[in-house]
Amino acid sequence: MAPPQKSDQEVAAEFTSYYLQRATTEFAEDLDKVRAADDFKNDALRILVGALQQGTAMFSPEEQRRIVTAAARTDTKP
Amino acid sequence: MGKRFSYGPDGGAAAVSRKRQKIVHEAPTSEEIFASRQLQQLLAFTQDPVRARHGLQSFKLFLDELLSSQSTDADRPRILRDYLQSTRPPAQDDDETAVYLPDIMQTWSYGAQINNDNVMSAVPVVIALLLKLLAQSLDTVPFGLGICRTLLQKRQQDLIARNLSADKGKAFIISPTLRMLKEAVNFDGGAIAKPLFRARASMLKSLGRNMGIVHIGDEPEDAKRPSARTNAILFFLNALKVLHPEAKKELLSQRDICAALTRDVKQDPPYLVRELLAGLRSHVLLDDKLPREAKASLLNASTLTRLSALYQYRLDTAAEDEPSVAQLAHQFLVTACTNPACGVLRQDSGFYPRGVDPNAAVPPAELDDSGLEAVVWMNKFKTEVPVRNFTLSNFLPNLRPWSSIKQSELITSIFRVAPELVANYFLGNKSFTFEPKLSATWIGYAAFLFNVVALPIPDSFCRASGFPELPPPTSIVIDNILPLPLNQKALSRSLANKSGMISFFATRILAVAIEKLETAVKMHQDPSHANQTAWAEAARRLVDEFCQRSPGIKEMINSYRSIPEGDVLRREAASRLLRLCYEVLPQVALMAKFDVSPFLETSLGRLSNQPSDDPRDVALRLKELENLLAIAGYSPGMRWFAASEGLSLSPFTLLLRVCVDAPHGVALETIRRVLSFVAVEQQLAPADDGHPGLLALLEALQALRTASPDLAARIWPFLDNCLTRCANSPVKYVERLQELSQEVAEPGGQDNSQAVASPIAVTMLEQLPFIAGKEDGSAMLKALSRFLPKFLGFSAAAGESRPLLEVIFSKMVPHLGDSKGKLAKAGVPEGLEFEHSTAPPKTGIRGGKGKEQPVARGAGLASEPALEPERLEQTLQVPDGLEADNSALVKWSPKTVDELIDEGYLTSLMALLVSEHASIRKEALVNILKAAAKIKQSEHEEKEQIWLLLSELAETSRDKINDGPLPSPIVSFACHALDVLRDPLSSLYAKVNSFLTRGPTWSLDRLPLVDEVLLEEPGVGDAYYAQTSWLLGYLVDGLRTQHDLELFHKKRAKGPVLERLLAVAANPYMRLPLRAQVLKLVYRATGIEGGSTTLTTRFGAVNWLEARQAACTDASEAAMYAGLRRRIWETCDKERVGAWSKGGLGGARLGA
Repeated sequence: MAPPQKSDQEVAAEFTSYYLQRATTEFAEDLDKVRAADDFKNDALRILVGALQQGTAMFSPEEQRRIVTAAARTDTKP
Repeated sequence: MGKRFSYGPDGGAAAVSRKRQKIVHEAPTSEEIFASRQLQQLLAFTQDPVRARHGLQSFKLFLDELLSSQSTDADRPRILRDYLQSTRPPAQDDDETAVYLPDIMQTWSYGAQINNDNVMSAVPVVIALLLKLLAQSLDTVPFGLGICRTLLQKRQQDLIARNLSADKGKAFIISPTLRMLKEAVNFDGGAIAKPLFRARASMLKSLGRNMGIVHIGDEPEDAKRPSARTNAILFFLNALKVLHPEAKKELLSQRDICAALTRDVKQDPPYLVRELLAGLRSHVLLDDKLPREAKASLLNASTLTRLSALYQYRLDTAAEDEPSVAQLAHQFLVTACTNPACGVLRQDSGFYPRGVDPNAAVPPAELDDSGLEAVVWMNKFKTEVPVRNFTLSNFLPNLRPWSSIKQSELITSIFRVAPELVANYFLGNKSFTFEPKLSATWIGYAAFLFNVVALPIPDSFCRASGFPELPPPTSIVIDNILPLPLNQKALSRSLANKSGMISFFATRILAVAIEKLETAVKMHQDPSHANQTAWAEAARRLVDEFCQRSPGIKEMINSYRSIPEGDVLRREAASRLLRLCYEVLPQVALMAKFDVSPFLETSLGRLSNQPSDDPRDVALRLKELENLLAIAGYSPGMRWFAASEGLSLSPFTLLLRVCVDAPHGVALETIRRVLSFVAVEQQLAPADDGHPGLLALLEALQALRTASPDLAARIWPFLDNCLTRCANSPVKYVERLQELSQEVAEPGGQDNSQAVASPIAVTMLEQLPFIAGKEDGSAMLKALSRFLPKFLGFSAAAGESRPLLEVIFSKMVPHLGDSKGKLAKAGVPEGLEFEHSTAPPKTGIRGGKGKEQPVARGAGLASEPALEPERLEQTLQVPDGLEADNSALVKWSPKTVDELIDEGYLTSLMALLVSEHASIRKEALVNILKAAAKIKQSEHEEKEQIWLLLSELAETSRDKINDGPLPSPIVSFACHALDVLRDPLSSLYAKVNSFLTRGPTWSLDRLPLVDEVLLEEPGVGDAYYAQTSWLLGYLVDGLRTQHDLELFHKKRAKGPVLERLLAVAANPYMRLPLRAQVLKLVYRATGIEGGSTTLTTRFGAVNWLEARQAACTDASEAAMYAGLRRRIWETCDKERVGAWSKGGLGGARLGA
């Protein structure tokens, strides 16, 4: 039986978490530098996370689903 | 140290009075109250202030006790009631004059007379408590109302006013008075609010000032001992709650009060701030009955700015489940600034600034002559944008979007409802730059700018349902697409920054900006525009402006190139940006001569060689691959079947391998689509409708891979060899296929000449014998003996001719080392089922339906309705590139050589050789020679060639211009050749130079370079289409008059030029943009007198158009052909054409 279809919100949430995970891997060095900068205080961490995840808006819901379900389907593969 | 005076006993007293008086609070005495009689006595009027205070203090403690929740004594309420009854004024007194609590009021008045501050403070204290208590029970409300009315009497009004305007230092008098007024205004649901407000001269006396008496001290304000400011604000808020709209309006118009209300809000205790925000929100912002002006007078820019200081409020003590003060302030500001009913936001007209009439009538003649320059306001807003929302415009610069998400949200939500503010905001805030720096501030600013760029464009640019007459000022549109801080320098530096994150952010912003540009350009091209030319010009300007602000494509390519292989997120974003450039700004993108093949190969190599651990990464890599494939589709020079160095397989085979090896579940539709498109284009698969294309091949490969991955890996070199051969000489294999079908036909007697099979199968058959001799031939043969039956079986299942496949297979078997005859016996397997992809229906359509893929090649769209004349003109009309601009004669001389060559001054000068006036032509000739001399003496890198071009042009025209204009194609050629000479990397550089060195003058009878481009090898790689495009470009510009047309249809050895160009358009591999250029040429010809007639009678253009239409698969293209047919009919000499065709051509056939 096919696994139940994920709702759009679930897909968006999963995609955002994947996107952030990728971004933190790719920019690990830069992120360390930013955290060490003088102006890194108060809202800065939230701004940083918000700024990184803005990019998810550039992926249409279908694209997000495609990327997220690529993982899901492999999981269910025998 | 100065000398001190000594004061005597008298002098000392005088000195004390001059000094600031020190206030000494002597604690009053008190006693417990047991009976109403005792209370009466205590409060009875006395001239002794100490006794008066004793009585009042005892009463205060009594009331405190009653108000406290722990009060249990049942006698006390009775004592109070009895006391109130006993002091109640006689019933005959009228409401207005009756004095309640006469003794207390008299004490107060006496206290004021003798300036006793303590009494003046103690009286309001007890009245406030008493009112608070009386409001709690219905029985006691009449007493309370009586007291309130008493307060409104003249004597008490004066006392209140006096108390309120007490010295700033005497908060102990002011505060209780304000508390008393708060209780009074609120009493019984605001029963006396109206008369109280009427007496505002006393009741609101010094309210603004009192709001400024703040708590002083290091520790926060104690909620039990509120400051005068706190009391004043609470009184004000309670008044707002109960006052009727007219009174509220009046109250809000008191400027000093409104200003004082928020002046110190940053230091206010949290509960007060919360109450203030909630009160203003419900009783001002959301009060529908309160007129907008009243709200606007409170919510001016400085109020908003002070409230925005609450984003950094430090005294907050919010519990976990309640919103913080910063959140509440944010909600308040968002509502205040984005809800038009709140009085701040005004309706604007989107990208049209205040004071501009987008429907202004501009005489069409002026628009034709000077284009958008005829619109006076078009260029006015580059440094300043007047707006309707001046409050918001003044408020916004005070926010710090880079350091707070909420402030960034507030600004973008304001921009969303008042788009006029975007350009205004950035013009007014030039100090904050986008200069890249790896800091939290830069990232915050980049995030904010991303949000601004991502904002939608207002409907019809003006927030209306239909477009106005005139386009919006280009500077404003571009400021919305790439706001000012995003200039070329900052963006280029960001793209090239060594920090990957900075270049990633810049890439994303640019990608969103290009998408927005696309939308804006499409809106400019909307067919409903009344002034098509003006809008089209605005769209061109917009694109130009964008290119000036955005970094060049080379920088984007370099940025992409520098991204490490593993950074899939960055690679995807950068390739997406490049793809968008190709889609939206092809003219710019193609200029960069970006060869996508190496990137594509790397990407393919990576995908096929290193299966990544996370399938989501693979999906992202595939997204990158799709972007690259799209770019490959746009760039004409993609070599699909040439394996480059370092790669064993051709890109096409690699792509196939990616498809087969991709992890289960990864969507491959786009890649499959590209594969089938290339396969059909390269004749690997028959182009007819029923053929499944590569489906059988893919399915067989996937089946083999599932069954035995090792074997599958072995056949790639063989497959690549076959595919490359088949693509390089398709005709050979198609012919071989036909021979084989004949073989099938003969024994059965059936006509199988139409039998279909894939040419790849034939290529495999041909190549099979050579395997055995190779190094690991036997292993490969083993793999092929598994693969080939599958492939042929699936081909049969997909609808190819089974007999034909059987013949092919029987010829393959001997080479497959089938010693036991198993394979031969089994034949082509039957009944194979498609597992990895959907089987094509027998009647058959092919795999996917791509945008570029011909859905029904040959089926034709002959009945497609013709394009409307206006649309046709819009699509095919090319502006006259040689239009005479006589000012060019003088404009060029002060310019530098670089400007002359690069900015079109030279071109305009040359164009004057086609002028109708002999004097202009002569003048132009002289100037061309002067310019040539100037260039020759310069340091310009291409000075020799350009001098030669100009000199030859001058030499050619010298004798002719006395008789008439030079033929347009000659001049047009010179103009376009100049572009080639400017760029030594141009593929035509060699051809133009060898043309120039051929002789000092050009034949005026011939069109230069036509043969060289159409017949000779392109010389450089795959530049054929690029060169053809250049040729068509100059010919279109050069077709202007009847005389020019003659040059096109003159008989020549290789046929008239026009005829050959029409034949060029029949090339099935030519893309639409090039075909459209041929159509533009035809359209140009129809605009020349007699042109359409010549086209019809000499070139059979009508039949040609019919044939093109029948062969084309794109509805809009078909409509273009039909439209052109109609245009030809409408512009030709109908009588002559009718006679020529013996009535065969008529209005109906020509779509008229």
